[in-house]
Amino acid sequence: MNGGALVDGATAQALDVAWLVKAVSPASEYGRRVFAELAPFVPGEEERASQRASTIDALATACDVARLDAVRDAMRAAPDASAAVARASMDDVLADAALFELQRFCDAVARVDSLLDGITPAGPIASDAVREIAAALEGGRAGKFGFYLADGFDPSLRDARERAARLQAEFDAARGRAAERVGRELGRDDVGGEEFIVMRAGARTLPAGIRVVREAPTYYLCALEYDEPTLAAMQRRDEAVDAVADAEERVRAKLSETVRARSAELDRAARRLGETDVLAAAARFALSYGCRPAKIVQQSSVRFEGARFLPLVDELESSGRHFTPIDVELHDVAVLTGPNMGGKSVCLRTCGFVVLCAAFGLPVPAGSAETALFDEIAWLGIGAADAGLGGLLSSFAREVVRLRDVLARPARKTFVLVDEFARTTTPHEGKALLIALIEALRERGACGMVATHLGGVASDAGVRHFAVRGLRGIPERPAAADLNEALASLSRSMDYTIAEVGEGQPEARADAIALAALLGLDGGLIEAAYRALK
Amino acid sequence: MGRALFDLARETGARSIFVVGTGKNVGKTVAMRAIYEAATDAGVTVGLTSIGRDGEAVDAGDAQPKPRLFLRPGTAIATARGVLPSTPASEILRISDLPTAAGRLLFARVRGHAFYELVGPPTASGVREIVDGLLEFAGLTIVDGAIDRVAALAGGDDAIVVSCGASAAGTVAEAAGYVGALVQRLRVPAFDPSQPFVRVDGALTPAKSAALIAARESRQVVVRDPTQISLTGKAATHALSALTVRCERPLRVIAATVASIGRDRAFEPRAFAHAVADATNLPTFDVYAGARAA
Repeated sequence: MNGGALVDGATAQALDVAWLVKAVSPASEYGRRVFAELAPFVPGEEERASQRASTIDALATACDVARLDAVRDAMRAAPDASAAVARASMDDVLADAALFELQRFCDAVARVDSLLDGITPAGPIASDAVREIAAALEGGRAGKFGFYLADGFDPSLRDARERAARLQAEFDAARGRAAERVGRELGRDDVGGEEFIVMRAGARTLPAGIRVVREAPTYYLCALEYDEPTLAAMQRRDEAVDAVADAEERVRAKLSETVRARSAELDRAARRLGETDVLAAAARFALSYGCRPAKIVQQSSVRFEGARFLPLVDELESSGRHFTPIDVELHDVAVLTGPNMGGKSVCLRTCGFVVLCAAFGLPVPAGSAETALFDEIAWLGIGAADAGLGGLLSSFAREVVRLRDVLARPARKTFVLVDEFARTTTPHEGKALLIALIEALRERGACGMVATHLGGVASDAGVRHFAVRGLRGIPERPAAADLNEALASLSRSMDYTIAEVGEGQPEARADAIALAALLGLDGGLIEAAYRALK
Repeated sequence: MGRALFDLARETGARSIFVVGTGKNVGKTVAMRAIYEAATDAGVTVGLTSIGRDGEAVDAGDAQPKPRLFLRPGTAIATARGVLPSTPASEILRISDLPTAAGRLLFARVRGHAFYELVGPPTASGVREIVDGLLEFAGLTIVDGAIDRVAALAGGDDAIVVSCGASAAGTVAEAAGYVGALVQRLRVPAFDPSQPFVRVDGALTPAKSAALIAARESRQVVVRDPTQISLTGKAATHALSALTVRCERPLRVIAATVASIGRDRAFEPRAFAHAVADATNLPTFDVYAGARAA
C-alpha cells in the first residue's frame, strides 16, 4: 500500500499512515505482493472506491473475528509457492521443498475457500488447476503437514528403494562383520567409525583389515580397510542408490510437468489468494475498529459523525482513557479554534484519516461519513517537518517553504489541513498570512480545515468557523506534580466536541493560563499572569 | 564414548545436547556423531542441527577433509534448504522463516541412509527456535554448536559437551588451561536470591571485575548467564576465585571430549585426556580412542 501522490512524507507522518498500513497488512506473501501494489483511488474512481469498501464491509459483516483470524492463520501458514510455479513454467524440475510449498498452497486455498464458503462474491479461489495439482501431490502427504516423494508415486521408485535398502543391509552386514572382527582382536567395541586410535602399548601387532592412517610414537591412527566382498557389496549398494536417484528424479519431473502445464492458472489462483488476504485484513481492521463504508461523493466535501483518529484511540485505550468521537462538515475551507490541549490537531488528523481510509477503499472509523476522493491530502503547519530542509531555517521559514511547495503543485482536488500556520511570527502578520492563505486555497477549490489560536480569522476570511467546546470549568489540579494525573484531570474537564460558531458569537477561550496551572507551573507566576490578563 | 555421553545427558533429563568447541577441528562433529549413533541404537528419535556448517566433505576454509554425517532413516534434521540432498528424498516437515546463506532453514526427516550436511541458524534466538522446533519431531536434539551461541541454552533443559583438541592450542598445558577456564566460566552456579547480591548489567568485563575486587565486594555478583562473563585466561581465574560470581540462568556442562590429533600437531592421547579431565573436573572422553580418560 503506497500513498503515491495522495500524501507526501510530512503528511503521512502527521496522519500516521504507517499505523494504518500496519493495521491493514495482510498475513501472507501472496497478500503482501497485492498489498504493495495498492494505490489510493483518485477523483473519477468514486464507484470503484465505494465498491471496494462495500466488499470489505460485506466480508466483515458476514464473518466474526474468529473466522477472519482463522482465514489469516491459513494465509500465514501458506508458504510462498510462486517461485516453484515460476521454475516449473521454465521447465525446471522442482525439488521436494518446492513440491511441499505447492501442496501447502493448495491446502491454504482449500482452507480459505471452506472458511469463506458462500461469503466472497468472487466465489471460491480453487480452480481446476489447483484441484489437479492438489490431487497430483496428495500421494506425498506425510503426517499432518509433511511431504515425501513416496513409493506410491511410481512402482519403479518403490522397486528401486526396496533394492537399495536390501543392498544397504548387505553392505552394513559385511562392514559390521569386519568391524566386529577387528574390534574383537583389539578388545574394544567401538570400531566402525571413520578413524580410530590404537595405542602402541595395547597392541603389539595390528589385526588384518585395518589401514594405518598415521603413526605416532605412542599410537596408530587407523581406519577399517574393506575386503573384496565388502567392497563388492558397497559397489552394489552404490549402484542401487543411483537407481533410486534416477527414479526419484523421474517422479519429480512428472510432477513438475503437471505444474508447468497449469502454471498460468496457478498464478491466477495465487493472485486471488493474495487479494482475499488483503480483503480479509481490511475486514478484520473494520471489525476491530467499528469502521463503516463512507459514501463517496464527487463534490469536494467531507462530512462525518462520530469519527475517531484510530492511532490515538489505541494509545488512549492502552492508558485506560477514551477518545471522544467528533462530527465535522466541510464544503470548502473552514477555521477551527479552541483551547490548548482541546483536540484541534486531533480533529485535523481525524479529518485526514477518514479521507485517507476512503481513498484506499477502506471502511472509515466513523458512525457515518460522506467524502470526496482527493488528488492530494496536504498537511501544513505543526507536525509537517521536512527532513530535507536541514537546520538552517527557522520554524516559520520551514512552514513557508512547505506552503510554497504545496501551492506550486498544479491546482488539483486538494484536501488541506493547516495546523497553526504562522504561529511563530507576530500575531497581526500571522493572521494576515493565514487569511490570505485561506483565500488562496478557496480560489483553488480546496477543501479543508485551518486550526488557529488567532482571533477573527474566520470572520475576516468569510469562512465557516468551528470550535472545540473546551473546558467545562477549571480542572482540578493534582496534589502531586504528576503529569499523567494532570492529563487525566484535564480530560475529565474538557469537552472535545466540535461545534460551529455562529456570527457574533464570542471566540473560544484559549484557557492557556488554567492549563499552565494544571500542568504544575508555579502558583505565583500563574497569579501574575491572571493579573496581567486583566 | 557415544553411549556414555548419551547416558550422562539422559541422567540430567536433558532433551537437547549442545556440543561446543574451543576452536575449529576439535572433534565436535565426531562427538556429535557418536552421541547420535548411541541414541539411535537406544531407539531414540534424534534431531540434529548445527550452528554454522557441518557434515560437508571438505572444509570450505582450507579444503581439508571433514568428518561427515551419515544419517539413518527416522532422524529429524534442521538444515538450509540449499544443502538438502535431492536423493535419497527426505520428508519435508516444515520450512521456517529463518534465513541462512544457503536458503531458508527447513525441518526434514531422513528417509534413506545418506550423508547429510547441516547448516544452522546464524543467531542465538534462531538456535532456540530451531532446537525447540526439532523437539516437535524428535525425542532428543543434538546441536553441533558454537561457544558464542550457548546463551540460547541458558536456563533451558539442555546439556553441554565441551570439545577441545590439538588443533586449538600449541601445547597440552595450553589446551587444558583454556578449556579449564572455559568450563569454569560456563559452570558458574545459579545465584541464591535469599543471600545478598549485586546484579551486573550486561557483561562482566575485566574492568568491572577489577572494580568489584578493589571494592572488596563480598556479595554474590550476578550476571544474566555464564556467557555474560567476558573474562579469559588469568583474569578469569583470578576474578572467579576472588568474587562470588553467580548467574540467573545457569548452564549444564556434563562432559568434555578431546581430539588429540589435529591438522598441524598431535598430543599424546592419554596425557591430553588426563590434563583436560583434571582442568575441567568433568568426565572426559577421547574421540579417537573412544575411551573415558577420567
